[in-house]
Amino acid sequence: MPFREEGRGKGEGALPFPARVARVVRRIIGAPDYGAYLAHCREAGHPPRLSEREYVKEFLDSKGGVRCC
Amino acid sequence: MPRLFRALIWVVLSLLGAAAFAILALSRGETVSAAWMIVAAICTYVVAYRFYARFIATRVFGLDARRATPAERLSNGRDFVPTNRWVLFGHHFAAIAGAGPLVGPVLAAQFGFLPGTLWLVIGVVLGGAVQDFTILCCSVRRNGKSLGQMARDEINPLAGSTAMLAVLCIMIILLAVLALIVVNALKASPWGLFTIACTIPIALLMGWWMKSWRPGRIGEASLVGAALLIAALVGGGWVASHPIGAAFTHSGTALTWMMMVYGFAASVLPVWMLLAPRDYLSTFLKIATILILAVAIMVILPPLRMPALTPFATLGEGPVFAGKFFPFVFITIACGAISGFHALVASGTTPKMLARETDAPLIGYGGMLMESFVGVMAMIAACTLDPGVYFAMNTTPAALAGAADVLQQAGFVVTPDQMQALAAQVGEQTLIARTGGAPSLAVGIAHIFSGVSSALGGRAATALWYHFAIMFEALFILTTIDAGTRVGRFMLQEIVGHVWPRFGETSWYPSIVASSAVVVAAWGYFLYQGVVDPLGGINSLWPLFGIANQLLAAVALCVGTTILIKMGRARYAWVTLAPLVWIVTITMTAGWQKVFSADPKLGFLSHAASLAGSADLHAHQRIVNDYLNTFVALLFMAVVALLILVSIREWWLVLSKRKPATVSEAPYVESRYAV
Repeated sequence: MPFREEGRGKGEGALPFPARVARVVRRIIGAPDYGAYLAHCREAGHPPRLSEREYVKEFLDSKGGVRCC
Repeated sequence: MPRLFRALIWVVLSLLGAAAFAILALSRGETVSAAWMIVAAICTYVVAYRFYARFIATRVFGLDARRATPAERLSNGRDFVPTNRWVLFGHHFAAIAGAGPLVGPVLAAQFGFLPGTLWLVIGVVLGGAVQDFTILCCSVRRNGKSLGQMARDEINPLAGSTAMLAVLCIMIILLAVLALIVVNALKASPWGLFTIACTIPIALLMGWWMKSWRPGRIGEASLVGAALLIAALVGGGWVASHPIGAAFTHSGTALTWMMMVYGFAASVLPVWMLLAPRDYLSTFLKIATILILAVAIMVILPPLRMPALTPFATLGEGPVFAGKFFPFVFITIACGAISGFHALVASGTTPKMLARETDAPLIGYGGMLMESFVGVMAMIAACTLDPGVYFAMNTTPAALAGAADVLQQAGFVVTPDQMQALAAQVGEQTLIARTGGAPSLAVGIAHIFSGVSSALGGRAATALWYHFAIMFEALFILTTIDAGTRVGRFMLQEIVGHVWPRFGETSWYPSIVASSAVVVAAWGYFLYQGVVDPLGGINSLWPLFGIANQLLAAVALCVGTTILIKMGRARYAWVTLAPLVWIVTITMTAGWQKVFSADPKLGFLSHAASLAGSADLHAHQRIVNDYLNTFVALLFMAVVALLILVSIREWWLVLSKRKPATVSEAPYVESRYAV
C-alpha cells in the first residue's frame, strides 16, 4: 500500500494544485471534505455509503467543536 | 566535526537564551527592548523541544513510527483521517489558541513584564507542553479516547464522573468570563458593536452559501465572508460618526442580554447555519493576525515601557486584580503556560488525525510552545503601553482610586486629557475602565500595526487597527461561546440522560431548548454579576476561571501520571508529577486566599462581611454573589482534592503490587506507512 496522507499532496497527483490547497485549508479549519471521504472509500475498497449531503451532516453532527479558551 | 559543530550550536543557543533572561531580569529603571523577550522565549523553546520533548517521546513513551495510529487503523474519511503533520499542527494550534493566551498575560502585566514572562516560558516547557503532549500520546494509544473516558478507564469510574462534572463547571465559568471581556470591549462602542453585529448575518450568508446555494464551496464562501468582514470594519467607522450610531451604543447590561440571546440561538440552531461558518471565518482571521503580529513585533522590536516589576507584585493590592504575584500570576496566566482545556483538544479531534506516533512531539509539545509564544506577544503588546494608560484602562474608577497612592509613587499616572486624546485617536468615546484585557491589547496591537503601516509609507490608521484588533478578539471569543454553549448542552443532556433517557437524545427539540437555556442561564448569571460589579468583575471571575482551568490541568496530569505508572514507567513519573505538584500548590493556595483572605478586595467571605449592614441597594445581591463564588471555588478545590486522593490510592495499589499494572491500550498493529 503506498504511503498516502490527507492534505499532503504527494500521491494525489490527479488533483490540481488549487484543490490540494483547498484540502489543506479544510483540514486546518476542521471543515468537512467529501473528497477525502471518497478517497477513503476507494482505498478501503467499498463504494461510498453516504451522499455529499449526508456526509456533511454526519461530519457536523460528530464534531464536538471543542474550542479552547 | 559536524557533531562537534552541532553541539556548539546548542551551547550557543542555550547561552544566548540565558543572557536574554539575565538582561530582562537585571533591568532596573532603563527601558528594555522587546527583542530580549523574544530571544529568551525562542531559545528556551528550541532547546526544550530538541532535548526534553525528544526525551519524553523516546524514553518515557517510547513512541514508535511503525505502530499504526487510530487515524490509520480506524480511517473513515470523516473524523479518523491520517493527516500531514504540518497540516495537523495548524489544526491543533487553531483549536487550542483562543482568547486565553491573549488576555491572561495582559492582566498579569500589572506585576510588570518579568513574572508573567518567566511563567509563560518556564511553565510551558515543563508544564503546559508536557501536559498536552502526554494526553495526546495517551489518547493516541487508546483509539482517540477523551480525557473523561481515560480517567474512568485508568483511574476509576468515580474519577471519570468527577472529571466530567469539572469540565462542565469550568465551561460555564470560562464562557462567563469570555463574554465579560467582549461586553467590556463593546459597551458604548458603536464602531465595535456594529462590526461584531455584522458578523452574524455574514456567517448566516456563508452558511446558506456552503449548505444550499453552492454546496461544499467553503473557499468561495470564506473569501466572500472575509471581504464582507472588512467592509463591516470600515463601515463601523462611518456608523460611529453618524446619528445611526446611537442604535449601536449600549450599556453593559443590555449587551449581557444580547450575548445570552445569541448564545442560546447558536446552541439551538443547526451547526451549519451559524456556528460552522463563524468558526471558519474566525480561524482564518486568528491565524492571519497572529502571523502578522509576530512579524510586526519582530520588525519594529518595540521598547517595553512597563518596568520588570511593579510594586503590586509584592504588595498584592493591584487594581486590575487583587493578590500577590504568588500564587496569582500562575492562575492569571493559564493558557500560554499550562491550560487544562487543551487536554480536551489533545484527546478530541487531534489524536484521530495523527498519521504517525512520532509526529506527536511536533503537534502536542510544539503546538503548545507556539501558544506560549502568542502569550509572550500579548505581554509585549501590553507592556509597550504607557503604564498609566494601562492601569486607567484595566481598572474601574473605584479600584483606581483605591490604588492611587501606589500608582502616584510609581509614576504610573495619566491625565484625563491624555486618555481622551487616546480614545479619540482609536475612534472611541472613552477608554477608561475597559477592563478585561482585550481593549488594552487592542491599543497595543494598534500601536504596533500602525507603526508598521506608517513605516511602509501608508497612513497610521490607528482607529482602524484598534477596531480590527477588537473584531479579531471578539470574533473568536464569540466562536468559543457558541461552541462552548453547545458542548455544555451536550454534556448536560448526557448527564440528565442517565436519569431520564428521553432527555439524553441530542436531537429531541424540547431537550435541546431546555438544556441550552439552562447552560446559557448559568454562564449568563456569572456574566451579569461581573458586568454590574463595581470592581469590574474581572477581579472575581478571572481568578475563578484560572483556578478552574488549572484544576482541569491537574485532572489531566493525574491521568497522565497514572498511565505512566501503569505502563511500568514509574521512574519517569516525575515528568507529569512535578507539574502536578506545582499546579495543585498554586491552585489550592489561590483558592484558599480567594475564599478566606481577610482582605475584602481579595477574599470573597471578607468582602461579603464588609458589605453587611451597607446602605447600598445592591449590597444584598453582592453578598449572595460572594457566597456563590465561595461555593464554586470550594467545589473546584474539593473536586481536585478528591481526584488526587483517588489517584494516589491507585498509584499505591499498583506500585505495591496489590493491583496488576495493566493499561487499556489498543493492541499493536504494524503501520502500513512504515518505511
